[in-house]
Amino acid sequence: MAAASSAAAPAPADTYDIPWVEKYRPTRVADVVGNSDAVARLEVIARDGNMPNLILSGPPGTGKTTSILALAHELLGPSYREAVLELNASDDRGLDVVRNKIKMFAQKKVTLQPGRHKIVILDEADSMTSGAQQALRRTMEIYSNTTRFALACNTSSKIIEPIQSRCAIVRFSRLSDQEILGRLMIVVAAEKVPYVPDGLEAIIFTADGDMRQALNNLQATFSGFRFVNQENVFKVCDQPHPLHVKNMVKNVLDGKFDEACSALKQLYDLGYSPTDIITTLFRVVKNYDMAEYLKLEMLKETGFAHMRICDGVGSFLQLSGLLAKFALVRETAKAP
Amino acid sequence: MGKRPPVVVLSSSSGEDDGGGRRGPSARRSRTPASAPARSQFQAASGSKKKPRRESSAGRGRRRCSEPAASDSLKAEFDMLSEDFSECFDDLGMSGSIRKTKELWVDKYTPRSLAELAVHKKKVEDVKKWLEEMLMAPKQTVGGWTLVLTGQTGVGKSATVKAIAADLGADLCEWTTPVPTLWAEHLHANSGLRYISKLEEFENFVEKIRKYAMLCPTSTKSKRKLIIILIDDIPVTSGNAAFARLGKCLTGLIQSTQVPTVISLTHYHKSESNDTAMWNSEDLESLLQGAGAHKIAFNPVTTNSIKKILIRICKEEIYDAPEELLHQIAISSGGDIRHAIMSLQYYCLDPRRHSSALATSATRAGSKRRDSLVPRQESYGLSSALPSPCGRDETLTLFHALGKFLHNKRETNCDFDIDLDPFPLKEKLRRNSLKMDVPEKILSQAHGKVRTVTDFLHENVLDFIDDEAVDDAWVVVSYLSEADCLLTGSLFTSYNSENMAQLIAASVAARGVLFGNAHVAPSRWHTIRSPKLWQTEQSFRSNKDQVLKERFDCSSSCVSCNFSDIVTEFRPLERWIGPRNDEPRSSLLPHGIGGSLLVDKLDADGSLDEEDDDEIEEC
Repeated sequence: MAAASSAAAPAPADTYDIPWVEKYRPTRVADVVGNSDAVARLEVIARDGNMPNLILSGPPGTGKTTSILALAHELLGPSYREAVLELNASDDRGLDVVRNKIKMFAQKKVTLQPGRHKIVILDEADSMTSGAQQALRRTMEIYSNTTRFALACNTSSKIIEPIQSRCAIVRFSRLSDQEILGRLMIVVAAEKVPYVPDGLEAIIFTADGDMRQALNNLQATFSGFRFVNQENVFKVCDQPHPLHVKNMVKNVLDGKFDEACSALKQLYDLGYSPTDIITTLFRVVKNYDMAEYLKLEMLKETGFAHMRICDGVGSFLQLSGLLAKFALVRETAKAP
Repeated sequence: MGKRPPVVVLSSSSGEDDGGGRRGPSARRSRTPASAPARSQFQAASGSKKKPRRESSAGRGRRRCSEPAASDSLKAEFDMLSEDFSECFDDLGMSGSIRKTKELWVDKYTPRSLAELAVHKKKVEDVKKWLEEMLMAPKQTVGGWTLVLTGQTGVGKSATVKAIAADLGADLCEWTTPVPTLWAEHLHANSGLRYISKLEEFENFVEKIRKYAMLCPTSTKSKRKLIIILIDDIPVTSGNAAFARLGKCLTGLIQSTQVPTVISLTHYHKSESNDTAMWNSEDLESLLQGAGAHKIAFNPVTTNSIKKILIRICKEEIYDAPEELLHQIAISSGGDIRHAIMSLQYYCLDPRRHSSALATSATRAGSKRRDSLVPRQESYGLSSALPSPCGRDETLTLFHALGKFLHNKRETNCDFDIDLDPFPLKEKLRRNSLKMDVPEKILSQAHGKVRTVTDFLHENVLDFIDDEAVDDAWVVVSYLSEADCLLTGSLFTSYNSENMAQLIAASVAARGVLFGNAHVAPSRWHTIRSPKLWQTEQSFRSNKDQVLKERFDCSSSCVSCNFSDIVTEFRPLERWIGPRNDEPRSSLLPHGIGGSLLVDKLDADGSLDEEDDDEIEEC
């Protein structure tokens, strides 16, 4: 990790231009944060070669693309340019392209070390039509001794079964807060960002296990305010302040319904949309320390409110109603 | 072993020259399959050439046969080769330094003889018998030359045919699609590239088989050259017209071919293919059968035979995988042997094996660098029983998580002080603290789809509730139904909102099960069953398909009548009018219309189905 940060610290003059997400994208598999099991195995592949066909699946911002790119770089080194075909959703990936481009690439002659193969990287593979995936099926099999495939996707079930069958599936899960914090600390140190701890905490809260978002938010806060504290983070990311929401929930639980309502009104008047409010509310409730029954009921009610809001009933009344339901839950649960 | 068809290496990614492949068996290990003599001779013998030659994109040579050796010498040669082959094969079992090969294990351990196949003996026997019969049959027989192999992906359809062909010494000709011209290229074509659709190419190919099959140098000598055609790669068609064309083409092939032809069709669940415009395998299958093809359906490979194969591979790779791991891979592959081998290869990439031959303790976890930086939550490795997620759809950790939720282990001592608790709950709603992580965290590690999780919970939770505790069952099921409702969610969803709805639904389901199950049944061994709901849904769907099909057959005029009308009015009437009218209906279903109607219906009926289920279980 230390190696990565020192490698990626160019002269401070041009730092403003590059997004930090790109600037601090790990270049070696070993530097990818989180999902230690998957990463450790990929490291072995990077060292020994003979990459099997892979499907990397997991939520956004967990390092799928990063690790596959790093893996390809480590495996192929200088011949990366000719031995890797990278296609993502923005490229044309219809039936024709799969048949032609990928097949042509698979037939291309590239001199590589023994144990290395050409690699076709299909990013966001779940957006490929199943027709295109069907066409991929045979190509994968026929050229397997010269060309290997790596597919990255959010949901592996959108990949058709025949393709799944031909690949080993590597699953990535959301990063833990510590993992994100660790990486943030490195970036903060390298960029000399002034911060207070609760600022970073706020960034981690807003990112919700998504490293890309965390870095983007950090950079946005830094370039906007030159200082990372909680307030600035929430100004930049423009989410309802979780502390505020937390207070609201606390008030409900303490039986101070009026105060909770006025807090909600305040939030609403600030211009947050009901979707924003409910998203934050969900995260807060999820992490709030309360009795099991209360949490379950509150989550349930939040879910229903969220559903209604998504259906278009995004009124203030819904949100107040949700608070009222929280209060009701409390009343029914409270010991006499 | 004189005659070997020229093999062109497509990518010289192997640093080795192809010609050197004929040295002693000891040198063979580290070569590509094409250059290893064992393989290429096998190809020569069986003719199954997976390595296409380089060719221009205009699309020549779509039918590959290995160059025929003079037919009389063929048998002798084959004997010799197979001898040599088995010798190589013995060698394969012995040699030690296999680890550095650069093949996929799936390719490396392709079954080369019948004994190696993981497919059920009887199926293999069936296919073999059929092929033998066909190969011996007199040329003039018309029809019945086609065999359709069906089954889900990775159950060894093609492998079986290849192994049998090798066993019988027959040439296997495969249909390999040539590299096409891009449409865009065609538009700017001054290079004389012509755009040919896949379907057209396929049609040409079929046409050629039909016409020229007789011209093979078979009748010249006494011994007939054995040829089997394998069609694995049926072109993707979309829309009615194209499907009809494909159907016509295949029907023609089936009716007129005079060479044993094997068509392998992969089944996959329709719910998973996201665009309905594609042909589905069932339509095609019934079409092929209607045209007179013989069908053999392959079942998923059994767990035991998968395990046996995995153990053999482990032995040959000199990797001592723990029994448990193999077992789990075998189970979670769902009868897909190819995926099981792929997973095995992935799991045998063991970081510990290389980095620490001296310290083999399982506790020494993963990467050393990060350990200092990020505190590990759980030690990685075998100590945590489940190595990591794998498997095609049901993941191992999913079962792990389900087990946790269902067993519902809690602290036994309830000595927390009620007075000190800031917010006392009613006695009934109080629960001891959980002996596990937060449910959300377990869920996120389980990698399962929320729908799957809730279905599994629903199916299994009643086993884990004490027989007396009906109240608990009420509570649990009502929470599950609410989770289900949340999952179905709203019509207009973006990725974010959908994501959140899923998260909430998952926590409600998991927490509901945890909370509701206050009187856990005394822990016994329960196997976690897969939801019956899925079978019900599947049969429901196929029933509906059937009904729709029939409707299209009898009336092409009323397009707009809805599904319940068909079932409640139309069918009874039809049955009433013509009870004897049971002729086999044409299997040509107007595809696109059927598909789209089906989709409209799915939502409403899917939920209906579940409600029924709930009621039954609650009674």
